Amino acid sequence: MTAAKTATGPGTSRRVVTTRSARASAHIGRHAQTIAIAVVLVVLLIFFAASADRFATTGNLLNLLRQIAPTLVVATAMTFVIGTSGIDLSVGSTVALSGSLLAIVLKHGWDPTLALVAILALGALIGFVNGWFSSYQNIPPFIVTLAMLSIMRGTALRATEGYSTPIDGDLWIVQIGQGRIAGVPVPVVIAVVVALAGWLVLTRTPFGRYVIGLGSNGESLRRAGVNTRKVGLTVYVLAGLAAAVAGVLIATRLSSGSSNAGNGFELEVITAVVLGGASLFGGRASMLGTILGALTLGVIANGLVLLHVSPFYVQIVQGAILLLAIFANSKVWARFGAIRK
Amino acid sequence: MTDQKAGRVDRVVMRDIRKRYGMVDALRGVTLRVGPGEVVGLVGDNAAGKSTLMKVLAGAVVPDSGEIVFDGRPVSFATPKDARELGIEMVYQDLALCDDIDVAGNLFLGREPRKAGGLLLDVRTMHADARRHLDALNIRIPLTDIPVGGLSGGQRQAVAIARAVTFGPKLLILDEPTAALAVAEVETVLELIKTVSAQGVSVILITHRLQDLFRVCDRLCVMYEGTLRADLDARGTSLERLVAEIVAHDDEKEGRRR
Repeated sequence: MTAAKTATGPGTSRRVVTTRSARASAHIGRHAQTIAIAVVLVVLLIFFAASADRFATTGNLLNLLRQIAPTLVVATAMTFVIGTSGIDLSVGSTVALSGSLLAIVLKHGWDPTLALVAILALGALIGFVNGWFSSYQNIPPFIVTLAMLSIMRGTALRATEGYSTPIDGDLWIVQIGQGRIAGVPVPVVIAVVVALAGWLVLTRTPFGRYVIGLGSNGESLRRAGVNTRKVGLTVYVLAGLAAAVAGVLIATRLSSGSSNAGNGFELEVITAVVLGGASLFGGRASMLGTILGALTLGVIANGLVLLHVSPFYVQIVQGAILLLAIFANSKVWARFGAIRK
Repeated sequence: MTDQKAGRVDRVVMRDIRKRYGMVDALRGVTLRVGPGEVVGLVGDNAAGKSTLMKVLAGAVVPDSGEIVFDGRPVSFATPKDARELGIEMVYQDLALCDDIDVAGNLFLGREPRKAGGLLLDVRTMHADARRHLDALNIRIPLTDIPVGGLSGGQRQAVAIARAVTFGPKLLILDEPTAALAVAEVETVLELIKTVSAQGVSVILITHRLQDLFRVCDRLCVMYEGTLRADLDARGTSLERLVAEIVAHDDEKEGRRR
């Protein structure tokens, strides 16, 4: 692609951007997807508010936010992974394993703080394995994380023998899933903090810059003297850590660790990120878009349930949205932005 | 580095550099020297080994054997960063820009100005510095906050060269810098080369545009099938002679120097 561009001879400077208005249109082009998903979200909010009685109530909206909190936490990390042109399919299984093991070690009388730290460390370790194979051994992350998906789900099933393990409601740790701070559910607070931190890191730090650079032109970044393998490894560690956080959020919310938790979770997370305008080919990722994408998925799932639509349809709708979003990313939005992939 | 001894100590000497890729002998013992402020044109047919040799010098390729002496000290590069820390900058033929990152971000890629104890990017300083550097080099890119993917080929090349020049290199390697440029933009680049070499920066210029070489170069080094075939004085060499060396005409053998 780069070679073809170099070969464009004199006089073919067709994309010269020279004026302020050109800058404005370039910016709108780059943010067209974020704007579009924001519009879709607003339309959905209005639609469900008008058609479902209990949709636009504080209680329901807080419940909606609590439901998508795990998705948002992992989608934040997944934005970095997809930004590098990687993918992590193992997050759903990691959710199941971390939730199950948390419940099991608590049943064995571990101190909740110790258990929490151990589970988060385990998530980071799973991410490290993903990152080591993908980034240092150059094995396609699709295959690496697909294998890990199977390994982690199997480990969770083996550890629980398929039964869900209850978590004692008197332990402070259940407050992570069920507590409220000034009326706001703790998972929502955690998700907002994680998403804001993710936004700061992606847009305002050298690391965020290198994540985009790695997805855009990894060889260029390497030649610029950046340790690209370390950047590639780090995004998977973040994803594994985020998945463990999500596992803890889900297990403590339900007061139970289940090896069946997080089934299809990876699809939901990836859909949120792609819906937010990230390119699966890397180099393009928007944290604001990811947040809006996760909100949109949450609103659809919540709204359809309130309209008494069979929950089975939610899964169908989610898959259809992912397909449409990828189609739009590669065929429609590519015409707006200066960047094409 | 332009002290009184500068005229006598070579900026860089590469001795007997060898590199194999499987069955392919890319470099078969190449020796090349460049003086301070000297502009050396490196020419040769495709696959003669020019780019590989320069990647060795820039630290992007590790040679199988051979020695590199920089400013009188033997050095070895494991990564491009090692070479860059000594002041060797290379502009690659394929530009090596990140299309999705803006102009200022590409100019400072890998060495962004930081604030808050190195944790955060200092975006404002980055754009201000980028603007200053571009203006100093007479590069006309009005905006530093648009992705380079939206620029023309000439503008992209200018960004790539500006990135290398603005950090005060001692040796600048340009791989086909003018291949994709409009005529006016070629002039800008050639002027740029003269300017930096006048400041004591050594330049190695790889190009197929032979007419450019005679405009700016002091010496012309001709590579042929992984060896250095000829080392010519640019002022005393004709275009015919240079072409003959590039295609390895044996009649010209007795005229070879060194």
